[in-house]
Amino acid sequence: MNQYQVIVGLEVHVELKTATKLFCSCSAAFGGEPNTHTCPVCLGMPGVLPVINQEAIRLATRSALALNCTVRAVSKFDRKQYFYPDLPKAYQISQYDQPLGEYGWVTIRGADGAAKKIGVRRVHVEEDAGKLNHLGQRLGDATGSLVDLNRAGVPLIEIVSDPDLRSAEEARLYLTELRAVLSYLDISDLRMEEGSMRCDANVSLRPADFQGNLEDLPRVEIKNVNSIRNVQRGIEYEVARQRELLAAGERIVKETRGFDDATGKTYSQRSKEEANDYRYFPEPDLPPLVLDPQWIADMKRGLPALPDAIRANLIDRGMPEKDAEVLVLDREAYEYWQQATALFQDERLVTNWMLSDLSRLINARGESFANSRVRPEGLVALLGLIQSGTLSGRMAKEVLEAMFETGQSASQVVKDRGLSQITDASAIQSIVDQVLKDNPAVVQDYLSGKEKALAFLVGQVMKQTRGQAKPDLVNQLLKDSIQKDYAPSQD
Amino acid sequence: MELSDREILHVARLARLRLTADELEPLRQDLNRVLDYVSQLQSLDLAGVEPTLHAAADQAPLRKDIETASLSVAEATKNGPKVEQHMFLVPRIMEGGSDDE
Amino acid sequence: MTSKKPLWDHDAHSLHDLFCEGAASAEEIVTSHLERIRSADSSVGAFLYVDEAGALEEARRQDRWSAVERRERPLAGVPVALKDNIVAQGMPTTAGSKILGEFRSPYDATVVVKLKQAGAMIVGKTNLDEFAMGSSTEHSALAETRNPWDVSRVPGGSSGGSAAAVAAQMVPLALGSDTGGSIRQPASYCGIVGMKPTYGRVSRYGLIAFASSLDQIGPMTRSIRDARLLYEVIKGADAHDSTALALGEERTVSQGPWRIGVPREYFGEGMEAGVRQVTEAALERLRSMGHELVEISLPHTPYAIAAYYLIAPAEASSNLSRYDGVRYGMRAEGRDLVTMYEKTRDEGFGAEVKRRILLGTHALSAGYYDAYYLTAQKVRTLIRQDFDYAFREVDFIVTPTTPDVAFRRGERDDDPIKMYLGDVYTVTANLAGIPGLSIPAGLADGLPVGLQWLAPRLGDLSLFDAAATLETQLEPMVWPMGVDE
Repeated sequence: MNQYQVIVGLEVHVELKTATKLFCSCSAAFGGEPNTHTCPVCLGMPGVLPVINQEAIRLATRSALALNCTVRAVSKFDRKQYFYPDLPKAYQISQYDQPLGEYGWVTIRGADGAAKKIGVRRVHVEEDAGKLNHLGQRLGDATGSLVDLNRAGVPLIEIVSDPDLRSAEEARLYLTELRAVLSYLDISDLRMEEGSMRCDANVSLRPADFQGNLEDLPRVEIKNVNSIRNVQRGIEYEVARQRELLAAGERIVKETRGFDDATGKTYSQRSKEEANDYRYFPEPDLPPLVLDPQWIADMKRGLPALPDAIRANLIDRGMPEKDAEVLVLDREAYEYWQQATALFQDERLVTNWMLSDLSRLINARGESFANSRVRPEGLVALLGLIQSGTLSGRMAKEVLEAMFETGQSASQVVKDRGLSQITDASAIQSIVDQVLKDNPAVVQDYLSGKEKALAFLVGQVMKQTRGQAKPDLVNQLLKDSIQKDYAPSQD
Repeated sequence: MELSDREILHVARLARLRLTADELEPLRQDLNRVLDYVSQLQSLDLAGVEPTLHAAADQAPLRKDIETASLSVAEATKNGPKVEQHMFLVPRIMEGGSDDE
Repeated sequence: MTSKKPLWDHDAHSLHDLFCEGAASAEEIVTSHLERIRSADSSVGAFLYVDEAGALEEARRQDRWSAVERRERPLAGVPVALKDNIVAQGMPTTAGSKILGEFRSPYDATVVVKLKQAGAMIVGKTNLDEFAMGSSTEHSALAETRNPWDVSRVPGGSSGGSAAAVAAQMVPLALGSDTGGSIRQPASYCGIVGMKPTYGRVSRYGLIAFASSLDQIGPMTRSIRDARLLYEVIKGADAHDSTALALGEERTVSQGPWRIGVPREYFGEGMEAGVRQVTEAALERLRSMGHELVEISLPHTPYAIAAYYLIAPAEASSNLSRYDGVRYGMRAEGRDLVTMYEKTRDEGFGAEVKRRILLGTHALSAGYYDAYYLTAQKVRTLIRQDFDYAFREVDFIVTPTTPDVAFRRGERDDDPIKMYLGDVYTVTANLAGIPGLSIPAGLADGLPVGLQWLAPRLGDLSLFDAAATLETQLEPMVWPMGVDE
């Protein structure tokens, strides 16, 4: 039986965060009442012409450079032609054989930690299509569709990977890393559910004895999947489906398939369309896009720190790899961390609190690090109280929760609730004495070598002090008192 | 490179033109005469000649990213042959078309 | 009014002066022209739409202007017609096709904005071959236009309506568009002045695209000075057109005498005897004025028509895809989307347009792009280079505008190649992007013959200057439907 290798390539569309559309000055904002962000140009009226938005080019260039692409000083736009009601001119202005960026890569790391470079074949600029609202449950049974052209002409970049991915998991890693890189560039909202980031996956199986060009393998394209998780599921399903077909001696048909979230399956979207023939040709309405090489170099120098560098830096500073990964993949968390550690020396304490209690509270409230009620200064103030011994770890958790609920500062919470830690031995001694007196059996257990017995006694003291006693101080006082008052004389 | 009926129907389909049987024959003749005429270009030696892909300016101007007023939705849709809820209504997308191929 | 001459018998300069001096009101000027349209256009058929109310309203508005306000605007008091592939807000635009249906543009073409700023009064829209595809205006789906010199003949095309309207003195100025000769050829057939500017000199924003890399809007008038005036109003960079050239240095030439190139490829077979006679007489006149005539060669001229009839249909097939029955224009209902598309485009487009869409779609389709479109664009480079070399030797090139005079209506209906070959002297300027000017040089058997002047890129103004020196040497035109002397 033939062995197959999974071959996956991804095409990712990202809407650029510009004020206006790619070729006209209409708002590029998401949503809006139907057809309120339209003008003769994006409606494809007779006689209109495109004029390129320079901000779109800046954001696209930034993206291409961050993905390690070579950016062309001269690129051009082409028309990709097909009829569809969401495409007003019946052609999309895109870039065909001279894309803005080429020959880049994204590095992914598998569970084993080994790095793998995934080629980024090209990054090109193009205009988005409008939106269709189907009158019916879905396209197949719709009686008609309503065309809203607010999105028509919004700038996109398309990022095409090489067919270097060998599993659904690698596809997930690639998308996660790609999104992380882009998130540091401020170029897009990157919201897959709103469609500002969209992914098509090309999946094929290579027989072990196949030596030819990967492009010649029969390839299935899974279109427009709305989350990274579903891209992974779609590829998994598609790999299994193709394996079964091949095992049954059938052929794989080159086709486009959709992904059904509910069933986890892909389904054929082929209509009676003939094979696409997009009849690309150079857009005669746009001269070449010429960028100053010096400007490109400046853009490259001006790139912010990107995940690879950030990750390396964090690990260099002693952060566990797992923690570094979590921070890097969430730009807001990383920026929160940076702000907090700029104010507070103990980076480990910051990391631990951020990734455990703070994350839990933020997630529970559906907030993010960027809009969390507790700002880095607030967290740092809380950590300061721990460091000075004013609060125990347990008390601090309670304070943090209160800070979330009330929006108050740590010191305010501590004050209002009378929560500061008792660090004066004389204030605790009488309670220690009473606890020992009330629990002679436990004291005997401890003296007979049961270390755990001490923990019970500590707990009793803490209870009586409403948790405000400093635990290691209680520990010490208990030990000293038992030694002094209960231990058999050694002499 | 004579075009067959089949090829013309394929091209017509790409261009979303429906050709009736009595349109097809004269069109095929006309197109083949034109294609025969333009085939004289193949006799030129074009090695090393760059195509003129852009007619005028050698560099596209870039526009500032500043929003200007869009059309009112009434203006945007007033020419629409069928408009519902301020959107352009089109018939069902799936199925159909000429079955010439 | 002191002049007995009717107002419609004046050129734009003269009308503007009368208006500025207060010798004629804008309302009188417009009324005179509207009356002229009413009487002459029934036999000519130049107009698809006349905006009487709009023109009169604009005229009355202008009549309230002070003398200074009038002088500030070079076209104040002057009626203008637009070829109906140029959009003007609120007016219908048809491009001579059924497919645009009741379309009314929500915006003004840049040239229309400029005309309005210059004080022009837009009186209406003129007939054309559907989407400017044709050389006779017979391919209009909407109306028939006849040549004022002989109504059994075509006015030429595709800007045949504008040419006929100007020649029949219904307007002093009209805009046309020229993709392969569509201004110059009808100008030649109708005995008027027509000019195609350097590609990029005039904004195409609001011109319904035929072949985007070849199309230019230009002036059609009865005198060179009027053509220059109209050109000066409409030229210039435009924030809406990325191919419109930033205002560079205009090419200038000396006062002369000039070296004038006469390309031998343009004087071969296929030229009618009458055209040859008139052209040679004009060349002789130029020589007698002291200019040096230099025989030159533009060796790739024989390939121009073939290159043009690949490039133009390819771009047109793409530009005409937007007429799909969804957002504007006519729609033929169908049970599903593809049927709707196909029925709309089948019923909406005429035969010549379909022929070119099919040809262009084929030329761009998979497997044919290199052999057709790319090859044609390489030949285009050779044609550009021909002119580059030639203009190192000469200041101007002079040729006949067309190989023939206006032909009879219906005469060339069935033969596309014969029709296309009529563009042989004009397409090269479009392919090379250079300016071309056709001026009336005389009559052959009572029909006008045009003389074409070509200059290097950005030599637009020099063309007017040069041709004007010849204009004064030629017999003044007697307009075909003019005032009885």
